[in-house]
Amino acid sequence: MSQVSRITVLLVSVCTAIGLCSGGVLKAASQKSQDVDPVIVILPTDVVLTGQHARQRLIVEAVVDKQFVADWTERATFRSADEQVAVVDQSGMITPVADGHTRITAQIDQLQTSISIEVRNMKKPSRWNFRNHVLSVLTKMDCNSGACHGAAAGKRNFRLTLRGYDPQSDYETLTREVLGRRVVKTRPSHSLVLLKPTGAVSHGGGKRFSTDSLEYRVISEWIASGTSGPSENDSLIESIEVFPKQALMKVKETQQLSVQARFSDGHIEDVTRWCKFETADANIASVTPQGAVTLQGYGEGVVTVWYLNLVDVARVTSPFPNTIPVEVFQHAENFNFIDRYALQKLESLQIPPSPLCSDSQFIRRAFLDAIGILPTVQETTNFLKDRSLEKRRALIDMLLARPEFIDYWSYKWSDLLLVSSRRLPDEAMWSFYTWVRRSVASNQPWDEFAHDLVTARGNTLNNGASNFFVLHKDPKDLIENTSVALMGMSITCARCHNHPLEKWTQDDYYGMVSLFSRVKMKNGDAAGDVTVFLSDQGEVPHPRHGRPLNPQPLDGSPIAMEGTGDRREFFSQWLTDSENPYFSRALVNRVWANFMGRGLVESVDDLRVTNPASNEALFAGLAEAFVDSGFNVRQLIRTVMNSATYQRSSETVSGNEDDQKYYSHYILKRLSAEVLLDCFSQVTGVPTVFANYPRGWRALQLPDSSIDSYFLDSFGRPLRETTCECERSEDPSLSQALHLSNGPTLNNKLRAKGAIDRMLEKGLAEESVLEELFLAALSRYPSDREKEAILVTLHEFTPAEVSQPEDEKKQRRQLYEDLFWAILTGREFLFNH
Amino acid sequence: MIRFDHSKRVTFCDGWTRRDFLHVGSLSCAGLSLSQFNAMASQGDIDEKKEKNCIMLFNLGGPSQLDTWDPKPLAPAEIRGPFNPIATNVNGISISEIFPRMAQHADKMGLVRSVYHTAAAVHDTGHQMMQTGRLFEAGIEYPHAGCVHGFLNGPRGEIPSHVVLPESMGPTGGNLPHGQNAGFLGKTHDPFVLNADPSEVDFKVPDLLPPEYLTAIRVDRRRRLRELVDEEAEKFESNSNARLLDANFQQAYTLMSSRNAREAFDLSLEKTAVRERYGMNRFGQCCLLARRLIEAGVRFVTVNTFLTVFNEITWDIHGSKPFTSVQGMKTIVAPMFDQAYSALLEDLQDRGLLEDTLIASLGEFGRTPKINPAGGRDHWPQCWSVFFAGGGIQGGQVVGESDDIGGHPKDRPVTPAEVVASIYQVLGIDLESALPGPQERPLPLVEYGVQPIRELL
Repeated sequence: MSQVSRITVLLVSVCTAIGLCSGGVLKAASQKSQDVDPVIVILPTDVVLTGQHARQRLIVEAVVDKQFVADWTERATFRSADEQVAVVDQSGMITPVADGHTRITAQIDQLQTSISIEVRNMKKPSRWNFRNHVLSVLTKMDCNSGACHGAAAGKRNFRLTLRGYDPQSDYETLTREVLGRRVVKTRPSHSLVLLKPTGAVSHGGGKRFSTDSLEYRVISEWIASGTSGPSENDSLIESIEVFPKQALMKVKETQQLSVQARFSDGHIEDVTRWCKFETADANIASVTPQGAVTLQGYGEGVVTVWYLNLVDVARVTSPFPNTIPVEVFQHAENFNFIDRYALQKLESLQIPPSPLCSDSQFIRRAFLDAIGILPTVQETTNFLKDRSLEKRRALIDMLLARPEFIDYWSYKWSDLLLVSSRRLPDEAMWSFYTWVRRSVASNQPWDEFAHDLVTARGNTLNNGASNFFVLHKDPKDLIENTSVALMGMSITCARCHNHPLEKWTQDDYYGMVSLFSRVKMKNGDAAGDVTVFLSDQGEVPHPRHGRPLNPQPLDGSPIAMEGTGDRREFFSQWLTDSENPYFSRALVNRVWANFMGRGLVESVDDLRVTNPASNEALFAGLAEAFVDSGFNVRQLIRTVMNSATYQRSSETVSGNEDDQKYYSHYILKRLSAEVLLDCFSQVTGVPTVFANYPRGWRALQLPDSSIDSYFLDSFGRPLRETTCECERSEDPSLSQALHLSNGPTLNNKLRAKGAIDRMLEKGLAEESVLEELFLAALSRYPSDREKEAILVTLHEFTPAEVSQPEDEKKQRRQLYEDLFWAILTGREFLFNH
Repeated sequence: MIRFDHSKRVTFCDGWTRRDFLHVGSLSCAGLSLSQFNAMASQGDIDEKKEKNCIMLFNLGGPSQLDTWDPKPLAPAEIRGPFNPIATNVNGISISEIFPRMAQHADKMGLVRSVYHTAAAVHDTGHQMMQTGRLFEAGIEYPHAGCVHGFLNGPRGEIPSHVVLPESMGPTGGNLPHGQNAGFLGKTHDPFVLNADPSEVDFKVPDLLPPEYLTAIRVDRRRRLRELVDEEAEKFESNSNARLLDANFQQAYTLMSSRNAREAFDLSLEKTAVRERYGMNRFGQCCLLARRLIEAGVRFVTVNTFLTVFNEITWDIHGSKPFTSVQGMKTIVAPMFDQAYSALLEDLQDRGLLEDTLIASLGEFGRTPKINPAGGRDHWPQCWSVFFAGGGIQGGQVVGESDDIGGHPKDRPVTPAEVVASIYQVLGIDLESALPGPQERPLPLVEYGVQPIRELL
């Protein structure tokens, strides 16, 4: 490479280094970029050391093609331009000396880079602070974890709040209880809080740190300086940021992470030492307690970083060991923005996309995913014959307008809202279901739907949505299920303590409860007749101090206790605001999972910072489009179905066999219990009989999940007791195989008068029967090989001579029953593919 | 094709590996038939004598240590609770008066009074740890001990190696997995779940047998046709759920055509007196069915005393609705357990099966030493009791001791990992072995350094 171009690369890379930290789309180190020599940059770029205790550890990253590709800190030599201001050791640790500015330079062979740093407040006495240092140590050392003294009952009469969520109470516990033996101001080293974790006296939790550690210093110096408690004047931590946020690495390589915290007084601290690091999938990336990440497998690994109750994530990516020509991604079908994001991700991971599926596969797939039924023989043959280029688009539009579309999506949202006669009288259940159904039928914008639900009032038989409050009489249950249903977020943990996996605190939780504490109910005369109304009083006390909190939606702002009208209106505004990422994302993720077999975030109900999406850019793009469309669910479905990503074959190509996460091919899905039962009815021409419902009523039209059906239960129908996608199971099991083989559901349909009889009456030849059955069940023609093999087998089993024509007829019918059974229990039928 | 893939090969005298053996078993139409199996056994290829089985009785809900098997008569009233201790047939061991029959079997029982765990105090975490030995973390689901046993040793003939009665654990509030499946070993190794109540009058295994109108020739024809169609689609082989579905059909064929399996599940073959001895309730009849299944060759049976803690009288004695009161436990739960447990022990002994069958009675945690305002006790994983009998363990002893109020182990604390390691040890499974984890990563059967409870062995 020429000298000039190398310099250009260096400049470009350094200039973009800051942009890189906040993330950008990763591209795999392609053939082209591997020829480029890496440059180096120092992370973090913004270093201000405030006070004598301040330290900052630097990381030197190799950069290729604007991406971090290796942690070269160990290879670097560091130099401070002015050692009167700050010194740096060879691990990259900077220690302040005196106020001022200087530059720190890192050098590796011919490569060199530097950052400017500032040192402040060296003349001010620096004291360890309870809230920001002592609690950090206790948290990092697991003292206040759920398994130790953070348990609800504490351990051995020593009880701290979980992960230090209540500093004042922890302070009192430490300084006041046990006759002050926990901290001894006059002789800090005799404090139990130091004797126990250093192993000087026996400790159930073992030795946590040694007497020569920084942790020991922090606690002992805090005690010696007078054990000052948490105060109003403490600078509060506002955010944390991890470096690097994204890195491209090879398997078995290690990357050190660095974490900075920003405080309300503007100062920055390196808090890496007291952060906790966790990994979601230990098979892709593992992480040490000190924040060194090692890649264990191909794919994208996500490391969650915790500091006190703040969270950030770092992603490390290792492309699959494929070399896919860049044209593969450039030439892959690209129908809308979904494909653009999906292909970018596939390219960065070096996973080739599968080609588009056949028309047969598409029509069957689209029918099952969007409206839960199979196309008829006529619909399939027409579609296959159609030569129009726009026929898939036209089919999608037709499906969105079908009445079965309303059945399918009403059923889905009824799962979500727990519509069931288990807990509601029939009349009320019907009223609730009808409300959902009307909303789906009119394609009511999702924000209006949510608004009408969470602010429902009046008579439950007139306004079906009010039943949502009847189902959740306790406002705590109400906010928990509402959060899961409409924001895909579980806040249940915060009922008793700060959420251990999320940023939500117990105060956030009770602020939410206050929003619903004035909803009251009065029973009417008729069954299911309840009036939901608002009272002008009623509060739920916070369990820790017994006072109610001002109404406040999670991270929204609080409102006054009195005179603010229906508090739920305020909640609804916050919920459906286009700035609330959870609301749009939760719906997008549910719809996406319905079609793609896997949520962008899995599980679908578990949106949280610590559980990132498999393709964040795609997720953000879809959510934005959904908001921009005015929360138009049908439009979202149309966009998803029209993407090439949805229309890819379920057959894998070399290099994408192991991908189950990045949508390189369509993911096989077992048909859900209700859809499967309806499809059996459809192909056999024998409807299922549901007690008290008209003949021909389909499973997907049931308003209620508590209709007796062994079939539906054994194939995983949800109970609708808890709002959770996990209530539904699509896993195959031995009981299902036994039921299809020997149970009455399918066998009775095959024996009853239906499609088989119609074929017999028409006197169809065996070959035509086969063709029609294939079209009806699998939406395709049988191949010549299949035809031949099946016909030969059929004849093997047909007795050569029969004495009575009646017997002949009976045997032919049984033959067809068995043929139908074989097709209807095959995997090609039981799966959507 | 069903495959039982093993991490370890066991070579038989004639050069077959166990893998070959199982593979043939699954290839043949009806699995390896019992007669073939017996023939192999009689040639000494399979030494049945040495193989031990296990019945795990899971006391879902978390029995109160103080009110059951670790009474503290000297503690203050709000701690010792309403029941008095009674002497057992072993000097120095007493248990709560609500188990009079069990008291006559203490000589067979190894009672461990110092089990504890340190995870969150919800039912689900305890279920995970007591059945798999581990808490599920970083997305890894560990296998139930019974699934491990089946995975390493394969089924005996046509009958599944691990059966769960009467149903899998249902919701217990934590929304976490319960550890009653094969976890990372793959769903092909999941237990067979009965999904029926054997105490019901017309009890039969759902769909075990073809209806009468389906002749053998038709069953065969259906199967051949199905396989013809299924062969075409290779793409299904790359999907784990689709592979599983196929394996389920193979298992179903094997089970349907097995007389041994059919009879094992048929409780009507038992005399009424025997059925009544176990108690005519769901748990009692499950215990009887467990005995029949072990006789028929099942290696591991897990019986859940209850399926959920909501709206059912269980061990979960919070004292308020929808949970159970102490009185409910006394009048319903304890007599049911007392009767079935003692019947199972006696019956297994009478039939000479006790020596080869370990009965592990476990719970997910204990309960708060101090009685709560509702008159019940809440979750308390800091200390509780479990007990073992049969399988060659040392009966008539107490291992570990709790403090004066049953709040913490006083000596010999025992972890769930050690409880599960003890089960493995009795079953003859090498604790040093490894299992094929996710992405072929070998995971140790138990964490390094975990030991079985030596006193029991």
